[in-house]
Amino acid sequence: MTNLSQQPSPSFPGRLLRRSSRRYLRQHPLLILLSILGVAVGVSVVVGIDLANSSARTAFQLSTETVAGRATHALVAGDGPIDDDIYQEVRVGLGVRQAAPILEGYARVSDPTGPVVQLLGIDPLADGDFRSFAGGPGGGLDLGGFMGGSSSVLMAPATASRFGLEIGSSFFLWVDGRAKEVTLLDMLDPSDDLEATGLDNLIVMDISVAQAVMDAPGQLSRIDLRLPLPIDVENMTALVEDRLPENVELRRAEARSSTLDQMTEAFSLNLTAMSLLALVVGMFLIYNTMTFSVVQRRSLMGRLRALGVTRREIFWLVLSEALLIGGIGAIIGVLGGVALGRVLVGLVTQTINDLYFVVRIRDLDLSYWALAKGLLLGIGSTLLSTIPPAREATRAAVSTVLRRSENESRISAMLPRLNWSGLGLAVLGGLLLWGSGTNIAVSYVGILAIILAGACWTPALVLLGSRLLRPVLGGVFGIIGRMAASGIGQSLSRSAVAVAALTIAVSATTGVGVMVESFRTTVDTWLTYSLEADVYISPPGTVFRRNDSTITPEAEAVIRSADGVISSFSVRTANVVVDNEPTDLIVTEPRPSALEPGRYKAIADYDHREAMRSRDVVMVSEPYSYRHGTRVGDELLIVTANGPIRFEVGAIYHDYASDLGAVQMTRSRYDIHFNDPFVSGLAVYVAPSDSVETVVEQLREATTSVQGLNIRSNRDLRQASLEVFDRTFTVTTVLRLLAILVAFVGVLTALMSLQLERRRELAVLRANGMTPVQVRRTVTLQTVSMGLIAGILSIPMGLVLSWLLIFVINQRSFGWTLQFIIDPMILGQAVLLALLAALLASVYPTWSMSRANAADALRAE
Amino acid sequence: MTDAFQPNQTSMSPLLHVSGLRKSYTEGDATREVLKGISCEIMQGELIVLLGRSGSGKSTFLNMISGMDAPSSGSIQFDQTELTALSDTERTLFRRHAIGIIFQSFNLIPTLTVAENVLLPIELAGAGSKEDRDTALKVLEEVGLADRHESFPDRLSGGEQQRVAIARALAHEPRLILADEPTGNLDAKTADLVMDILERLVHDDNRTMLIATHDRDIIRLADRVFLLQEGHLTETSKADALARS
Repeated sequence: MTNLSQQPSPSFPGRLLRRSSRRYLRQHPLLILLSILGVAVGVSVVVGIDLANSSARTAFQLSTETVAGRATHALVAGDGPIDDDIYQEVRVGLGVRQAAPILEGYARVSDPTGPVVQLLGIDPLADGDFRSFAGGPGGGLDLGGFMGGSSSVLMAPATASRFGLEIGSSFFLWVDGRAKEVTLLDMLDPSDDLEATGLDNLIVMDISVAQAVMDAPGQLSRIDLRLPLPIDVENMTALVEDRLPENVELRRAEARSSTLDQMTEAFSLNLTAMSLLALVVGMFLIYNTMTFSVVQRRSLMGRLRALGVTRREIFWLVLSEALLIGGIGAIIGVLGGVALGRVLVGLVTQTINDLYFVVRIRDLDLSYWALAKGLLLGIGSTLLSTIPPAREATRAAVSTVLRRSENESRISAMLPRLNWSGLGLAVLGGLLLWGSGTNIAVSYVGILAIILAGACWTPALVLLGSRLLRPVLGGVFGIIGRMAASGIGQSLSRSAVAVAALTIAVSATTGVGVMVESFRTTVDTWLTYSLEADVYISPPGTVFRRNDSTITPEAEAVIRSADGVISSFSVRTANVVVDNEPTDLIVTEPRPSALEPGRYKAIADYDHREAMRSRDVVMVSEPYSYRHGTRVGDELLIVTANGPIRFEVGAIYHDYASDLGAVQMTRSRYDIHFNDPFVSGLAVYVAPSDSVETVVEQLREATTSVQGLNIRSNRDLRQASLEVFDRTFTVTTVLRLLAILVAFVGVLTALMSLQLERRRELAVLRANGMTPVQVRRTVTLQTVSMGLIAGILSIPMGLVLSWLLIFVINQRSFGWTLQFIIDPMILGQAVLLALLAALLASVYPTWSMSRANAADALRAE
Repeated sequence: MTDAFQPNQTSMSPLLHVSGLRKSYTEGDATREVLKGISCEIMQGELIVLLGRSGSGKSTFLNMISGMDAPSSGSIQFDQTELTALSDTERTLFRRHAIGIIFQSFNLIPTLTVAENVLLPIELAGAGSKEDRDTALKVLEEVGLADRHESFPDRLSGGEQQRVAIARALAHEPRLILADEPTGNLDAKTADLVMDILERLVHDDNRTMLIATHDRDIIRLADRVFLLQEGHLTETSKADALARS
């Protein structure tokens, strides 16, 4: 017997096969272009979101690192600012010579609504060891002017240029609604581009000037330390505990940056997951195109197989085509992603500034890794979605492939297997969602499995839909209607993929829509019982949902005693250390209606409101409870001015203001444990005889000369809160639209595939007397039917997705309990959207098919 | 071309030895046996005509011999290679090197030019140099289509397409040429032209060919005639075959 083992086993197709493949692609330029577009949009969305997220992260890290400089550790007070007397104790008592006092904060430039900048108060004599940009001794800075002047500040040349300032220019810095005039003494001197980026939004001043600007006499934010290597942390910690007040603790310098990074972790992850959705829809598109190209060339591949082309060569031939499409799509997608990133970064920054912290992004952080990741994702997802059709191309026996009848019977034969696979994926998805605990990424994989399960069930449902539609369309449109309905079932291999892609995109829109609507309704309801006073007053803050600014005692007195104000209560927001983590502490007096049952998730079996006034009892917000696993009856160790004290948790309350969680304490207990007489906000009740709008105007007039304050009626504050809410979902809306765009392209390619596939069939019909109008009607009816099926299927799928987003993703990301609100409008929109997408996508194929020359189509066979 | 499927036989041994070949298909719950234990031998240089009604299993038999399909049981020995023992990839490689196929519906590759179609089996066999391209053109010249070598198949008439298919089947000098109704889609005049080419190639170049056909003219050229009837293969005389056709 001939030794076959000596035969080379070829893998990659030869020159002529590759040439044949290229010509095939050239013969279908529109189809290929649409596929490239599908990949490109999918990759753009992923890259855009990635760049926006990473740019925000990098900008914040750079700014934090630049400000931290070469500090290895910092001394901070767990209950708020640190007393500046401690600085002397550190240098003398602790013997740490490399120590620098810092006062940090935020201000608005020029007017109360101007751009937000970061303020950094330093001691230039001590700061040289930490930060080089501020000059320091021998650094070229006019120390006399800097320290001696009561209003001298420094900023980077780019910052000065942005605000139109020159050396010697005076301008106002607004902090908590109070203005302080300062003068630009000199420019900061960044040593490199990175430092320049870090300094982009920073104004540096002497610590005494900072204390004056921020109205924080004798206060420091922290004391930076440069501890000699190797650092004996235990020894130093012991020294700090021994020599310094109990509320002061030693922290690593980088801890701050990582804490803030964790704040946005869930937010960034959810955006990334949403962006991947567009790519998943794009994968369906590629799968569809490549399946079509394989199905259309089954006969050609059969001929090649008959001539001795191996299965492996066919496999690689199909894969190499996908590689070309994926490669070009990914390159365009990465370029598009950079452009999209520039748009999205503004939206992402806005959300971060609204919800978490102040960050300014000068430019996109175009890391090679992010771009390479986009390329790899584009090409990888294309190849992955091509594997099934490529395998399909190789699987059929040559003798079978050479016959024409089997194409559609195969997918029909596959239906039971697909249905079982769908069931398997649904079970897998359920198990992943059930077993993933708090892991959001795994939860999303579970959701993806459920989406794919829906896709697996789609062919059977499409077949069912086409059978149900047949008598209906037949009754209305006669034979043309019956043909249109039957055509969907007969070309199941393509129609099912198109319907699946459209269903997924539309159901994602429905799912996210229902989730956002449920969220909005929940927040609206919550605002209704949370905002019970008539007027709310707060200083203009820098972060909408975390306002820890202060109202001056003078302004407070004016407001409380104003005409028309019958009662009021204050709110103080502070950042304190709870169980070793910086946490928002909301200090307020319990309000009259606080016992409303819906307000609490859990309460102690005693009167917690009374307990919060009389002993060390606090309540925690639902997100806090979720993040830390805190239950009623647990104890929290809160660092107070009197040192760490244990507080019992008396209740868990619903709170949608912050996903980071907060602890609430009564003012009476706060006054006992903290040396902070200030308030961050006031809520006042207006006499029933007075108009709220009039009182608001009067309060504005009365406080103008004392402090610039935001004074809003209940209705205005509620509206402003909902505006911020809507703004935070703008990115989501953009992503939804892009996912629909990809799905639309998917439907278009699927319809074009059908058109090419059915050329001969329609030519035969034309030859038998069907007019172009009748052809158009058949094709339009068919595509609209597909849209209708997709729209109907997207409703249950969308509801499942929204349920998962609300009760799994939101719960695990943020710990919120949301109501599940099904708005029939959203469901109706889903069907309309699918119909519209299908109708639009049918325009070109319909036109093209009705114009096709019957003789040419018949001859082509 | 590689040496793997080069002649290995003695002058007296058959090129193809088929024994007890069976093939059945399952259709739903029923099993239909198309070939019921076929045995035959084909010698080097013979032109065999395979007769049989539509659906009698002629194409199935050719598919088994070419390795495109595997039999349910039985043996197909090509030279000294037992095809039934080969994997699908090995059968493909065997076909690539040893078999040339002419189909009734031509089965040209629409995305390759005429010359490229002819060159394809040569390239698949591992060659494809300038000399091989010349060989392809020479074969095209033999079938009278050298001047159309840059054309794409859809620009050719049916007869021209079949001549290209013949050129393609011969280009890599296969040991056995299988033809399935090669003139079935052609008019009488074009069929004559194709027949002339086949006759010249077989008898002048001493090729071995197995042709499934109803064409009386081809039967006249045959060295031997096989009749496939109800799954059984028998050898019949040319006169009887002509009378049947």
